[in-house]
Amino acid sequence: MTSIAVKDLYKTYSGALTPSLEGLSFSFPEGKIVGLLGPNGAGKTTTISILCGLVKAGSGSVKIFDITQDASRREAIKRLIGIVPQQIALFPQLTAKENLCYFGNLYGFKGKALKQKVEQYLEMFGLGNAADKEVGKFSGGMKRRTNIIAAILHEPRLLILDEPTAGVDVQSRSMILQFLKEYNQKGNSVVYTSHLLDEAQQICEDVAIIDEGKLVVQGNPIDLIKQHPACRNLEDVFLHYTGHAVRD
Amino acid sequence: MLRLIATIRKEWLLLLRDKAGLALLFAMPVILITVMALIQDAPFKDYQEVKFDILTVDNDHGRLGRYIREGLGNSGQFNVIDSLQGKPVSETTAKSLIGEGHYKISIVIPKGSTAEIVSNANKIVNDISKRMGIPAQLPVKAIASDSLAVQLYFDPAAKKAFKSAIRQALDNFLTQVQTDLLLERIQMQLRSKDSTATDTFPAIKLKAVGLQETNLGKHQEIDVISNSVQHNVPAWSIFAMFFIVIPIAGNMIREREDGSLVRMKLIPGNYLSILAGKLLFFVGICVIQFYLMIAVGIFGMPLLDLPALQLGVNHWAGFITALSISITATAYGILIGTIFKTPNQALNFGAISIVILSAIGGIWIPLEIMPEKIQSIGRLSPLSWGLDAINDVYLRNGDIRFILQDITRLLACGLVMLGIAGWVEQRRIS
Repeated sequence: MTSIAVKDLYKTYSGALTPSLEGLSFSFPEGKIVGLLGPNGAGKTTTISILCGLVKAGSGSVKIFDITQDASRREAIKRLIGIVPQQIALFPQLTAKENLCYFGNLYGFKGKALKQKVEQYLEMFGLGNAADKEVGKFSGGMKRRTNIIAAILHEPRLLILDEPTAGVDVQSRSMILQFLKEYNQKGNSVVYTSHLLDEAQQICEDVAIIDEGKLVVQGNPIDLIKQHPACRNLEDVFLHYTGHAVRD
Repeated sequence: MLRLIATIRKEWLLLLRDKAGLALLFAMPVILITVMALIQDAPFKDYQEVKFDILTVDNDHGRLGRYIREGLGNSGQFNVIDSLQGKPVSETTAKSLIGEGHYKISIVIPKGSTAEIVSNANKIVNDISKRMGIPAQLPVKAIASDSLAVQLYFDPAAKKAFKSAIRQALDNFLTQVQTDLLLERIQMQLRSKDSTATDTFPAIKLKAVGLQETNLGKHQEIDVISNSVQHNVPAWSIFAMFFIVIPIAGNMIREREDGSLVRMKLIPGNYLSILAGKLLFFVGICVIQFYLMIAVGIFGMPLLDLPALQLGVNHWAGFITALSISITATAYGILIGTIFKTPNQALNFGAISIVILSAIGGIWIPLEIMPEKIQSIGRLSPLSWGLDAINDVYLRNGDIRFILQDITRLLACGLVMLGIAGWVEQRRIS
């Protein structure tokens, strides 16, 4: 079974001169940590937005765990997915616990069970002592970790993370990557986007590199490096396929 | 239901931690209604209610001068000032003080006025007596003066309406003095002709038909008088309630900018339940705001020597009106928060649009005294519907039937705005 299967996906935003996605197709196997990589403007965020139902595709199909995404199944798919957006999608004036309890309530959790779940995750991510501190007063790393907890409260089978380690210190990054591995070991699928390609090379079992709304190449990072003798690492492979031109 | 309650609780926590937002929602409106009620108190009072200092120069030193001074003093409308620093006020001093704006009115009673009025009354009585075959007995001046007039001086900055009202009040008073003298002369003539000195004549009743005012409200025993508090407290409360668009729009745009909106939409379940929680919370805040300001009107205004706000008799109708205004104001905030992309755009548009809607909607000055074209436009303002409904309940003691049209308009307007907001949001996804 695949965790994600995307076929001939097209999307042009109204008023845009060029399409964001132009026949994008790829699929990821279930139960793996995979990377969706690409330069700025490649179409990663649009793809993720379509996967989680925030944006409608112009045409093409999306399947999550073999469930075709359409209007009638969007809610069912939302239950399977957890999204960690690049932004810190939390209320800065609320404490970590208040934020997580609110999002937990929205997922339908309540009472003691929710409280225990929130406290357990806060401890797991090293935020036990900061549970009652306003998120706006957190460091970058603490915010990122809280941002991840908010996406896994309902224990999704598929966790999609958009630049989860951007702007965090080495310790926080290590903790986040360790968590992703452990989450994956429980049988869950993880899709990860990042510009930190050494990190992607380290944790991803499969990567799809996309550019200009199309799939450029897909495969295991080590295999991709081997296929290109001139490339020493995933970053070289990435530059080989996407070029050296600076993107806006 | 859990999503709705959780959202209300979340909004409550957010508001509690936003001290400036709390001040904007509760403290500022209280200050606003207090200031507006105080500064608009004088213009709202009838001229009969206001006491004016009137510089009185009595060059007559006769009965008319005394009558006028006593009459002006007893009328309750004027403080008669006929001496300054122990010296009688002269016409020159009066003109100078008025010209410099120290006083607003001066009255100068010319020399010989009493003699002129008495002579005129005597002449009328003698003429009547003559026609009735009674010999003329009362003394009359040989030559009547045509140019004798009580002179009025006004502060050049005084408004036309003010001058007109004062002139009319003084003119009525002068007429009264002259009528009194005439009646007195008639009585004197009749007494001298037909009776002995011990006869008592019944007082001549001049007013055969008087005026009587009856309250047309449903509850006639409750006569609510429109005054500064009665207009300003509800009017500026409605204005302040509409200012809730600022925190709502700011809150919505912030949620969009910081990504929490995206997270809420990613969670399974209808986003409308979250939006409904937000709507209910802010509607509740608006209603609390309204009743807080009403409480200030009832208990705070008398502490400032202003009349207490009267709520009429139909408190449920008042509550339904407050609720309808709150729903419309909150819906407007949601619409602005949905349409605009940045807080600056939303806050500027929101604030300016409310000021315009309030100005044309009769919040600042009653709609009835505006030009006809502006009145027609003003009647399209939701703030004017709210104020009309409040006035129906508080001033006319109206019940729910009185306000049905206005609250239907308010709720329909709120629904349309929510519909547009939903459509814009839907377009964003597609």
